[in-house]
Amino acid sequence: MVATDEKGAGMADYNKPIPSPDPYVTQPFWDGAKEGKLMLPRCTTCNKVHWYPRILCPFCHSSSIEWFEASGEGFIHTYAVQNRAFGGWADETPYATAYIDLKEGDRMFTALRGVDAENPESIKIGAKVKIEFDEASEDVFVPYWRVVD
Amino acid sequence: MSAAIVAAAESDKIGYIEEGTTALNLHIEAIRNVCAEAGISPAEIEGIFATNHSNMLAEYLGIHPKYIDTTSVGGCSFQMHVHHAMAAINAGIIDIAVVSHGEAGWSARKNQGKGTLRGGGGDPWLPSAQFGGDLYGSWGAPSAYAHALTRHMHQWGSTKEDFANIAVATREWAGLNPRAVMYRKSGEGGLPELPEGDAGGGEKGHPFGGPITVQDVLDSRMIVWPLNLLDICLVTDHGGAVLIASAEKARSFRTPPVWIAGAGESQSHADMLEMGDFTATSAAASSETAYRMAGMGPSDMEMAMIYDSFTVTAGITAEMLGLTPRGEGPSLWANGNASPGGKFPVNTNGGGLSFSHSGMYGMMLLVEAYRQLSGTAEDGIHGIEGKQTDAQSAIVNGTGGLLSVTGTLVLTADV
Repeated sequence: MVATDEKGAGMADYNKPIPSPDPYVTQPFWDGAKEGKLMLPRCTTCNKVHWYPRILCPFCHSSSIEWFEASGEGFIHTYAVQNRAFGGWADETPYATAYIDLKEGDRMFTALRGVDAENPESIKIGAKVKIEFDEASEDVFVPYWRVVD
Repeated sequence: MSAAIVAAAESDKIGYIEEGTTALNLHIEAIRNVCAEAGISPAEIEGIFATNHSNMLAEYLGIHPKYIDTTSVGGCSFQMHVHHAMAAINAGIIDIAVVSHGEAGWSARKNQGKGTLRGGGGDPWLPSAQFGGDLYGSWGAPSAYAHALTRHMHQWGSTKEDFANIAVATREWAGLNPRAVMYRKSGEGGLPELPEGDAGGGEKGHPFGGPITVQDVLDSRMIVWPLNLLDICLVTDHGGAVLIASAEKARSFRTPPVWIAGAGESQSHADMLEMGDFTATSAAASSETAYRMAGMGPSDMEMAMIYDSFTVTAGITAEMLGLTPRGEGPSLWANGNASPGGKFPVNTNGGGLSFSHSGMYGMMLLVEAYRQLSGTAEDGIHGIEGKQTDAQSAIVNGTGGLLSVTGTLVLTADV
């Protein structure tokens, strides 16, 4: 089984690209991630959730945005299986990447866990997934989604 | 008011250039060649259009343009440059513009990334950097576009075979173009097998060149499921340039005009994270604008040049341009319809899949559309018998980024 299917890596083991949180807009997401919570931005004018985080709602252009703790559940919208990779990902081919429709609305990108990437056709669009976080550094926990169906 | 493409040319060499080259040289060769073909001096250029580097190109040429456009949104930028040049001409600001492209996609490997005109790394605080593909091992265009093909098969019941046939039909056109990388298979027709590390191309032949079948596509190496190697475009060196002129000047050059009857552009997103429908692009909107400007529709088109970075790009775009019903894009290529001798020629140069694709293929669409509609597609260098069609109109669509941005042109022959 590929390493992405294992329980989250410890900080010292994390050899994938580590994102740089932008302190002006996205910090609440990363603060939540450290506690294992999926924090999402929601417009208080039109009540829609958007992803990625913004200072202006892309649906109604209001600037009244709040953060809330989401369910951490979603569904596979589409996926691909990567057979060619570099850096920390090179050891893990083949692995599946996917766009996840969030239960609360809008979409995130991820590398899928709990799937058999050797058999791409066994992965199902619409399958239920849950979020989990890897400790990539002291401050940054990277979200991943695991198929739980 | 109107404007025309009045000449089109390439760099001295294209494809896999054995000795290597630079993007800058490819630009300058193409501009020099297009001016020579039209019979003008580069000093007569009033507007310069290129991705990012227009100012530097003008300096290199020693010219002082009064209109400078650096639109750089991927492979469709050149369709948009034509749109913008047309607008500048129709506004009465300029009469003659050059659109230029130079990209050393192949030589970049040989030269360790030097000579590419590419900038440095991205901003790590951009949303796409914090939440996008790089974090999760999605590497560039093939990794990303594969997600669209998976969704198309799920949503519309299409198959990998349907899309593979696009590569097969496109390869037939490459067999009529001796400058196409995939023109013939190396080792055939008395040609020697290529030495290790030499990817060949053109008349030398290519290990994967020559006619192919759907099964060949399905049997080729799996790069990113569901995209096999032969679903994916080439990465070559290529320079190209076209001249755009006002209606008043259009017939004053050594080369004939091809009219810009309609133009449009649009976008659906920048990063794929924001792609709403993975089976649609903004070409629906950009082509609607272009058709309306032309007073023409899909049924008035006699050929198409469709950006084929991947088979899935071409298939989806056929739907967006109104050339097939929704969900049935690959049917445009079925039963030889889009092949040499077919009813509706598509990608008559051999496409990004089999002719040449340096990274941003839009210029190659323009050059071939100009040649087809000006009757110069078989001139002994760029094509052999059968490549020239009798089309009098063409729809040309560039797709840029990650199925993100589109530019569409409706072009018509001079009558």
